[in-house]
Amino acid sequence: MQTLKRNILAVPIVVWIGLLVGVPLLFVFVLSFLSRDSLGNIVVQFTLENYQRVFDPIYLRVFLNSLLLALLTGILTLVVGYPVAYITSNLEPKKRALSIGLIMLPFWISSLLRTYGWMILLGNAGIINNVLRALGVIDAPLSMMYKFSTTLIGTAYMLVPFMIVAIFNSVDKLDRSLLEASYDLGANKRQTFFNITLPLTIPGIAGGFTLVFIPALGLFYVSDLLGGGNTIFLGNLINTQVTRGRNRPLAAAFSMAMIVVAILVISLYGRVAKDDREGLFQ
Amino acid sequence: MKPPLLSLVDVNKYFGDVHVLKDISFTIEQGEFLTLLGPSGCGKTTLLRCIAGLESVHSGDILLHGRSIKGIVPNKRNVNTVFQNYALFPHLNVYDNIAYGPRVKKSMTETELTDRVRDVLDLVQMLGYEKRMPHQLSGGQRQRIAIARALINEPAILLLDEPLGALDLKLRKHMQTELAHLQKKTGTTFVYVTHDQDEALNMSDRIVVIDQGKVQQLGSPRDIYNNPSNLFVTTFIGDRNIMQVSVVETGETHAKVRLGENVVSIRKPKQHSLQAGEDAILAIHMDKMRVSCEETANALRGVVSSIHYAGSQIRIELKVDEKTITVVEYQKTECECNEGDSVFVVWEDHGAILLPLEEAWIERGV
Amino acid sequence: MKLKTSKFGAFYLSLFFVVLYLPVLSVILYSFNASPSTAQWTGFTLDWYRELFRDRVIVESFKVSIEVALLTALLSAIMGTASAVISMWVTDGMKKAIQGMMVLPLLVPEIALGIALLIFFNSINLPFGHLTLVLSHSLFCVPYVYIMVQLRLKEIDRSILESARDLGATTWQVIETVILPLVTPSIITASLLALAMSLDDVIISTYMSGAKTTTLPVHIFSMMRVGVTPKVNALCTLILVGTFFIVGLSQLTKKQNKEAV
Repeated sequence: MQTLKRNILAVPIVVWIGLLVGVPLLFVFVLSFLSRDSLGNIVVQFTLENYQRVFDPIYLRVFLNSLLLALLTGILTLVVGYPVAYITSNLEPKKRALSIGLIMLPFWISSLLRTYGWMILLGNAGIINNVLRALGVIDAPLSMMYKFSTTLIGTAYMLVPFMIVAIFNSVDKLDRSLLEASYDLGANKRQTFFNITLPLTIPGIAGGFTLVFIPALGLFYVSDLLGGGNTIFLGNLINTQVTRGRNRPLAAAFSMAMIVVAILVISLYGRVAKDDREGLFQ
Repeated sequence: MKPPLLSLVDVNKYFGDVHVLKDISFTIEQGEFLTLLGPSGCGKTTLLRCIAGLESVHSGDILLHGRSIKGIVPNKRNVNTVFQNYALFPHLNVYDNIAYGPRVKKSMTETELTDRVRDVLDLVQMLGYEKRMPHQLSGGQRQRIAIARALINEPAILLLDEPLGALDLKLRKHMQTELAHLQKKTGTTFVYVTHDQDEALNMSDRIVVIDQGKVQQLGSPRDIYNNPSNLFVTTFIGDRNIMQVSVVETGETHAKVRLGENVVSIRKPKQHSLQAGEDAILAIHMDKMRVSCEETANALRGVVSSIHYAGSQIRIELKVDEKTITVVEYQKTECECNEGDSVFVVWEDHGAILLPLEEAWIERGV
Repeated sequence: MKLKTSKFGAFYLSLFFVVLYLPVLSVILYSFNASPSTAQWTGFTLDWYRELFRDRVIVESFKVSIEVALLTALLSAIMGTASAVISMWVTDGMKKAIQGMMVLPLLVPEIALGIALLIFFNSINLPFGHLTLVLSHSLFCVPYVYIMVQLRLKEIDRSILESARDLGATTWQVIETVILPLVTPSIITASLLALAMSLDDVIISTYMSGAKTTTLPVHIFSMMRVGVTPKVNALCTLILVGTFFIVGLSQLTKKQNKEAV
């Protein structure tokens, strides 16, 4: 009775979010097994066709494109971001605060603006081509837009702060005396980095990877603006199916596939992070 | 002539504008247990880190086997450190922690390594713990592994930075004995940092007392305890009653001094000369004093103002010539006194010492 | 041993920040370019800014965005704070349930959440517009308020609350007189973050906008799809100025918070 009274105020909150997240997800789940008629209206009839189409070579290609994009984004942001996090945590206090500020600031800058900036830089009439031409390096503009790599750069650019923040927290938590102990026992800087720093920051890397990988699956506006639809990704596909294709059951099936991938990545992270908690429980 | 194992020559160190080590010079001999003792912030840990190479020195030199190691990075110095928080690598098990040094230096084959790890684990009585992770060990066990991890490298000097600080009192006492044994058994030179005088007095061959970045006194525990050379050491080591007295006459080993109406004979320091007629400082260990009911030679007359029983010890406060003196006794045998009684205070000869009166004494309001 | 930053490290960091901010600076710079093309710089102009205010669709969608963002921030502040404060009293099981609910919207890919909400609102015949936008935005804003307020609550010494109770305050009085004043700076910072996130959202808003209620980012996205035009630059620059104003405010409250503690 007492516990019931204590919990009663919390019920509306749980119900409210449950209603707005859980129920819609359930709808998607159900919808992914339904059919549609020729006009695109949903027909309540059980089918596995939507899921079969996920494995249809054309759509499978899209699915793999997205996984590849998310994976490469994770790797690229890791390679670029790790040194940034590492160097920042070793800076003297004032410079360190400045560096952290500069890393965090993009969180506040409109993501559309940041994508658009790349259109201005990379376009045929863009800044980079202008500068290169003015310097006489090239005669004809380099074609840098509307490629897989353009989308990759844009997506990585959008998400790299997440990676840096995750790694920074991990590097910064690192006990300095462990590094000193490593030097003291005869390891050089490189050995210390690979034997101590890197293994101990794996939870941070895993966290950053999760934070980057999941959004990278669905940033359709980046691939739309920078990829120009030359490579089709899951986000674009779902978006087109919903807004123009009017094939919502298929979009629902793809959303489910995306959620499954996300759950896999998160549970993988859960494993790594669990080891971490035990390891750090000194 | 063989050079000493380690020589510090006028070592100076600054952190920004703060002068943390001031002209530190002393030598460390092969096989000794040397303790750097001082209050927190005195520079003792910084000095240790300078020897380890984890901090650089601004001027002066550090010589190992007669050769300067000033420019040598920590991973190339043949000294190892046991860190205050042990700094065991949390992601490696006991075996891999201990094997870390030989592995990064590639100084042994894996077969040799297995034997050596067994040896050092045996030495610290931790055989059978190879597969444990650091977080599965108790504080005392981690301590032993940290020592084993350092010893496997056969360092010329083992540096220990307050290694017992995190342990509870009982375990600390136990580990003190064990460390001293280990040091004798391995013959490794230990340089040990602590702020705990009991630890220093118990384990060391020699003690370097440091305060405000300066060496205050260097000597055997007995010497440091009984013959403090200056104000700092006198007040830092042991609990003493400190009184200002005037010298009546000086002899070969002792001097007669006056405190109020009492005239007593006190041991004279070797390093200081005292003249009749000048003022001096009398310092007597509280636990080297005793209260006597009968009038005895060489005693101070006083009135008991309070008696406190604190466990096994009894603290008696007395007024001697307007000054409050504390006597700590462990058994009340001789004189059953009460508050207000007039009694005599006597002391063991080596527990009392005379020191010249310096400015600093007066500033401290003695 | 100090790990000094090497020259290479400093160079790498500088290079990284140049790349990080170059696109943003390019957008700002070319909002003042007289030529409609980025191919050349033909002189300084404010024409593109003037044109913005004449564009009725932009002004309308801006109004929608602001209204939605303000309502979202308000709703998130209330819901997030309530969740965090209530969490202090509930049983551990319920606390876990609340935490689970709070991370759920952050773990589901945004586009999947958008589709889910679209299908859900569609099937219960909820008209798309302000309501759907605010409800959906609050889903990813409430958790941030909850997390930030909870972090602050953790810092509060439990004995302060106990002593308030001891002095005779009721639970509600403890909340009103002790807890709320202490967490207010966190609520403000978190609400400003919610405001900024709502103003910036593209993905969910794409599915939640009604026929006449398009948010500014959704409109900007459709403008960008057509290609580079300085009008977009000018619009983005104005938004940037607006967001930095919000950042400034949040930093200010943070500072005051620190001084108070």
